[in-house]
Amino acid sequence: MESKKTILELNKVSMHFGGLTAVDELSLDVKEGEIVGLIGPNGAGKTTVFNCVTQFYKEYTGDIYFQNHDGDQVDLRDYKVTDIAKLGLIRTFQNVELVKDLSILDNLLIGAHHHYETGIIQHILHTKKARSEEKRMKEKAYEILKFLKIYEIKDFYVAGQPYGILKKIEIARTLMSDPKLIILDEPAAGLNDQETDELETLIHQIRENYHTTILLIEHDMGFVMNICDRVCAINFGKFLAMDIPKNIQKNPSVQEAYLGKDE
Amino acid sequence: MNVKFLTKIEELLGPFSAKLRKHPNLTFVVFGLLLCLVALLPHLGLMNFGTMSIIAYITIYAVTALGLNILLGFSGLISLGTAGFVGAGALGTAVFIEMGLPFELAVVLVLTISGSIGALIGLFSLKVEGIYLAIATLFVGEILRQIYTQVPIFGGNSIQIDGGIKLLGFIELSQIFKEQRSMLFVLLVIIMVLMMIAMNNIIKSKTGRALLAMSRSEHAAQAMGISLLKYRLTAFVLATLFATVGGIMYAMYFQTIPTTSWSLDLSLFIIAMVVVGGFKSIYGTFLGAFIIHGIPNLILKDLLGDISYIFSGVLIILVIIFYPNGFVYIWVDIKKGYSKLKKRLQKDVTTDGK
Ligand SMILES: Nc1ncnc2c1ncn2[C@@H]1O[C@H](COP(=O)(O)OP(=O)(O)OP(=O)(O)O)[C@@H](O)[C@H]1O
Ligand SMILES: [Mg+2]
Repeated sequence: MESKKTILELNKVSMHFGGLTAVDELSLDVKEGEIVGLIGPNGAGKTTVFNCVTQFYKEYTGDIYFQNHDGDQVDLRDYKVTDIAKLGLIRTFQNVELVKDLSILDNLLIGAHHHYETGIIQHILHTKKARSEEKRMKEKAYEILKFLKIYEIKDFYVAGQPYGILKKIEIARTLMSDPKLIILDEPAAGLNDQETDELETLIHQIRENYHTTILLIEHDMGFVMNICDRVCAINFGKFLAMDIPKNIQKNPSVQEAYLGKDE
Repeated sequence: MNVKFLTKIEELLGPFSAKLRKHPNLTFVVFGLLLCLVALLPHLGLMNFGTMSIIAYITIYAVTALGLNILLGFSGLISLGTAGFVGAGALGTAVFIEMGLPFELAVVLVLTISGSIGALIGLFSLKVEGIYLAIATLFVGEILRQIYTQVPIFGGNSIQIDGGIKLLGFIELSQIFKEQRSMLFVLLVIIMVLMMIAMNNIIKSKTGRALLAMSRSEHAAQAMGISLLKYRLTAFVLATLFATVGGIMYAMYFQTIPTTSWSLDLSLFIIAMVVVGGFKSIYGTFLGAFIIHGIPNLILKDLLGDISYIFSGVLIILVIIFYPNGFVYIWVDIKKGYSKLKKRLQKDVTTDGK
């Protein structure tokens, strides 16, 4: 593990909302090929960390570095929020954010948005290049849909699908962008036990088949302990510990943060 | 009617509808060809020319409303200034032609100017949302209306394109001659079909999906690399271009362009067409134009005279109550009803057999 390159590095990142310090001098790193969990009680600042990493918030202090497709370390602050996907960094949202009045397939194609090279004029004229590009993207989507076992329902609207399927579509959409690092905000929330087990296998398969690194926020401790190589615990925006799951469970400051809470 | 009869019809139409499903743009062409037949009817004494003009209006409104559907249906944006851009298309074309420019150059100039103003509104839309955007666009429309009525180059109450439209420098089409008027009508239908195909290609492409993503979830859109600036601009430029094309169609067909008709009333009527006909639906938009402009003028007026507008008002309210996403979605109900009917007939057959 030591020899692996660092793909994401947070260096003393802080984020304030008015008087509230949501993230407080947080440092952590994620290595290539790892599955890392970010845990902490409600309101600990986990989602805020994701929003800083993906540049939705620009007002943070400290530095966030990412290793791009060429293997160079880049300062994410230099990139616009809409350029992050192109770098190979893609996320999901705590409240599933899909386009309900589009088919599942079309939602996946949105994930490939930045891969398209043809422009609107070519689309209007329906040029050969535009058609073959669209076809290529669709074939890629079919593969991912089959991998996630939702190929049969690809033409249905997203509206009306059960929650478990919605979560899968969101993950499928991230895969469309050829990510190096996928960050998942509570992927298991709202899933039943069977679906959670399935998700565990799925995340492992994603890492193997798509050669990605995964950083995830999750409240389900069983899930986190089963799946993660390392876990980072935070409370009130502050770093508590980062270690392998077994040690995190035993860590006194982590236990204290969760004291009085289930699990 | 029995089930055999229904299956027979299905078999007959089967290959045809399969082909259309494979090439959706072909349906617009078929639709256009059917509509072109209207151009013949007045010459056969089956329709008067006034009726053809009402249908010409519907094609103009349909194109304009398609553009607005990009804003309302896809991008979650609004404009109350549509009429201003229809006016720009109509009056601009006339002014440039009267200045001696060829028709095609006039069209390019008008589209460029309108499109630029549309882009400015798009930029502005990043700063203001919802009701504020509505008010801002209302005033853009109002400013344009003032320009048309006050600035002398637009010349008083109306501008006339003398001698008609000259296509490619040699095909002269004037509203005065009946045959040429029919030709102009066909031209309008062709333009409408092309705009429908363009619209369909846009909404089925990355752009259409990006516009929807932007309006349904700004955050997810940005995380996927969809720039709000780029797509707000795209939405407004497209909407103004469609409206301007509507205006150009007006200038081509009527050739006398009033300066005073491009007011808020018209913008609101266009919005009503989108709402009543169908959000996000191309045929729905045409249907909306037909319901709002066609039904009162073609049907109700002859039956009821001036109070026809009251009836069309009531009709519109009923449509909104029962089909909040647009009347075009009645199609879904028709399909459901049809398969129910078929099932019932089939059951009758089997029970009869016993
Ligand atoms: N946009 C915002 N403006 C003001 N305060 C915010 C904003 N976003 C988050 N906060 C506050 O920052 C703190 C951290 O919130 P955050 O959403 O990051 O927590 P979290 O760890 O993701 O919690 P949960 O497990 O409930 O999702 C909370 O106190 C929250 O109220
Ligand atoms: Mg959260």
